Parts: sequence; C-alpha cells; structure tokens
Amino acid sequence: MIRASRLGVLLAALLLVQITVLTHVRIAGAVPDLGLVATLAVAYRLGPEAGATFGFAAGAATDLFLQTPFGLSALAWVLTGYLAGVIQEGLVRSAWWVPPLFGGLGALVGGAVFLAVGALVGQEQLWTGRSFRLAVAAAGYAALVSPLVFAAVSAAVRGPGARVGSPGARTGW
Amino acid sequence: MALSRSAPRRRSVLVLLVLTSLTLITVDVRGGGGGPLRTLKDASADLFAPAQEAVDDALAPVADWFDGVFSAGDLRAENRRLRRRLDALEGRAARSRAALAENRQLRALARLPFLEDVPAVVAEVVAGAPGNFESTLVVNKGRADGVVPGMPVVTGAGLVGRISDASRRRATVLLITDRTSGVAVRLVRSGGTGVAQGRPGGRLRLEFVTAETPVRHGELVVTAGLQNSAFPAGIPVARVASVRRLPGELTKTIELTPTAEVGRLALVKVLQWPQPGGGG
Repeated sequence: MIRASRLGVLLAALLLVQITVLTHVRIAGAVPDLGLVATLAVAYRLGPEAGATFGFAAGAATDLFLQTPFGLSALAWVLTGYLAGVIQEGLVRSAWWVPPLFGGLGALVGGAVFLAVGALVGQEQLWTGRSFRLAVAAAGYAALVSPLVFAAVSAAVRGPGARVGSPGARTGW
Repeated sequence: MALSRSAPRRRSVLVLLVLTSLTLITVDVRGGGGGPLRTLKDASADLFAPAQEAVDDALAPVADWFDGVFSAGDLRAENRRLRRRLDALEGRAARSRAALAENRQLRALARLPFLEDVPAVVAEVVAGAPGNFESTLVVNKGRADGVVPGMPVVTGAGLVGRISDASRRRATVLLITDRTSGVAVRLVRSGGTGVAQGRPGGRLRLEFVTAETPVRHGELVVTAGLQNSAFPAGIPVARVASVRRLPGELTKTIELTPTAEVGRLALVKVLQWPQPGGGG
C-alpha cells in the first residue's frame, strides 16, 4: 500500500512534467509519454499484473489532458504494461543498456498499440503514416529519458532507506 | 503489486482493466463532451493551471533555444521565403490601402457585420499538446473569461482553430491543422466553396470543390460563414499551395497553407462568436 502511494506520487510528478515542461521541448515534433515509460519500468520491475495496473492509472491520468476519448491511453497502456511484464520475466537484468532499450522499444510498441486501438474505437484520423513517424520519434525520445524514469520507479518501489538487493527490490537498474 | 501471481489471476486483472477502459471510452464518446468525465477533465486543467503558467514563463527562453536547435534548417528556408514575400507585399501594400478604403465603404453600404465588432478575448498560449497525436494549444483563458467550446480563435494573420475544451481558467484550442478539424471555406477569387480539412504536417486539404472551379495557386481561402457555421464569414484561413485534378475525378485535390503560423503562436484572440448550430 505504501509502495503504491509512492508510485502514485511519482506518477503525479511525471504528469506535471509531461504537461508543463515537455510541451516546450519537442524533438522532431514528438514528446515522450512519461506515464508510458513509467509503466514499462513498473512492468519491468514488478511483472505483468503491476504493469497493467500502473498502465491503467497512468493512461487514465494522461487522458485527462488529451482530446482523444477518455480511456484510450489507459487501454493502450494496460495492454503494453501487461505485455512488457510478460517479456521481462525472460530478461537478464544487469546491463546498463536495458532501461533505454526496454523503454524505447516498449514506447514504440505502446505508441503503435495506442494508434491501433484508437483506430478500432473510431479515431481513424490517428491511423496515418505521420502518426507512426511521430511514434518512432517519441520512442527514441523515450529511450533517452528511460534511465531517469526507471531509476525513479526503482527508488519508489524500494522506498527510502532500502538497499539494493533487499527483499522486494530487484537489482540491475 | 506482488511479484508472483497465478496466471488466471493475472488474466482476470487484465480483462477487468481492459473492460473498465472500454467502458470509460464508451461513456466519454457517448457523453458528447459533457458528464462527469468532462467535469474531471476541467478540474484537472484548473488544478495544473498555475504550474503550467509558471513553467511557461520560466522555460520560454529554453524552449526558444530548443526550437531553434531542432528547426534551424526550417528557419533558414523560412527566412528566404519571407524575404521574397516581403518584396512582393511591399508592392501590394499601396494597392491594398486603396482597396481597404473601398472595402469599408462597401461593408457600410451592405450593413455587413464587421469582424472587428465581434467581442474578443486576448489569450496567451501557455502549452502545446501534451501528447503526440493531436494538434492543440492550451491558452490561459477559460470559462471565467467568457471562453466556451466552439468559439473561433484567430491571430492577425487569420484563423487558428476553435476552442474544443474550456475549464474555468484554461481552454484548449483545436488547431485547423488537426486531422479532426474541418472548416467551411470559400475561395475568394474563384468563388468555390468547400471544406478545409486538417492534414498531417501543418497543411490543409480543400475538399468538395468541383473540377470546373478555376482555382489558382496562391488564391486566398476565407471562412464561408454559411448558415449555422461556427465561424464568421471572411476570416482568412489559408492560401492555395497546389491544385491537382486527376482524370475522371469530379473534384479537385487542393492543398492549402494556413495564413496563420499555427505552429508558433504566443498570443491569440478568441472571438466570442455565437454558436447557432455548432457546425463547421
């Protein structure tokens, strides 16, 4: 419960950065979805169930500020978080390059799922070549910020004072 | 959030979350822009408004630098294009002054409403779209300032978009370049009418113009102001960038370039124009 509260506070902070800072610092017209990157980090850290649950919360919170139907990001990130959690179970997690790779590829998949689900629920305008190019740019940007977000999620999962390797904390990032 | 869960439980959680998300999407789409979800969105916009404004003020120089670094090539090309246009415009300016005087007299004779007479609220752009797949802006005026969804948003150069959401202190502008935006327009010289549809990449496509209409490159396109239109007539929207007619087609394919620089806005004007039918 305390860990969930810490993750909630982290999510609020990331959302604040998303709607204030990142709208000013686009690269190739794209911004990284910090909520999605955090979802991938939670899934990587805690598995598919936690990934899907956090993905729902992060997606719903992000949907509050988007023009697309409320729940679209939530649905896309639930699926992405679950998938990322299933994949992480087979990963070796000691290399420094895992967070950017996992975050970048995960963000690419998450963006594609968002566009596909959007088209399925009547948002056909999302299904364009330009949208996919933006998704690729956003994934590259997400890879850049992934180490920071993964570290923040790691700290929120471990809690203050916990040491790497202690019960409930996995090592590697 | 325990680490080890049985597969059936995991799948149950997944199904539950997916069904909840689908329910939220259905409620929002069928709610037609109202209801509790709208209230929640408005409250969130107001909650983050002070932080958004503070960060906008603090980050403006950084954002300008960032924009310059990542669009230096575009800026050079734009600079060359603007210099060419400046030469042409200086020549036209003298003719325009005479035409303007004549236009004023004609409007007075016809008793047409002046666009300048439409009440307006000047608003500052405080943020762009938080996501990647929509073309929107956030401005620092909301319902408390008389800004409500549907109102046209303009700059001195022309139409920018319309208000799509408004909370008490904030409003979201759906730009004319968004894929979901459509504006009923009229070609000034050739007189044809059609719908200017938002396109990816900051352009518009003019649809439903018959193949017989003699459209010219560079021709000005303005809001049509048809009955039940969301926009007053005569607001500059775009200029014709290219015209194509494929053999056998009944309509022309016309690409437009917006007259307003919708990608680089600091201040806009929200026209408090009545919304008789809410159409485009």
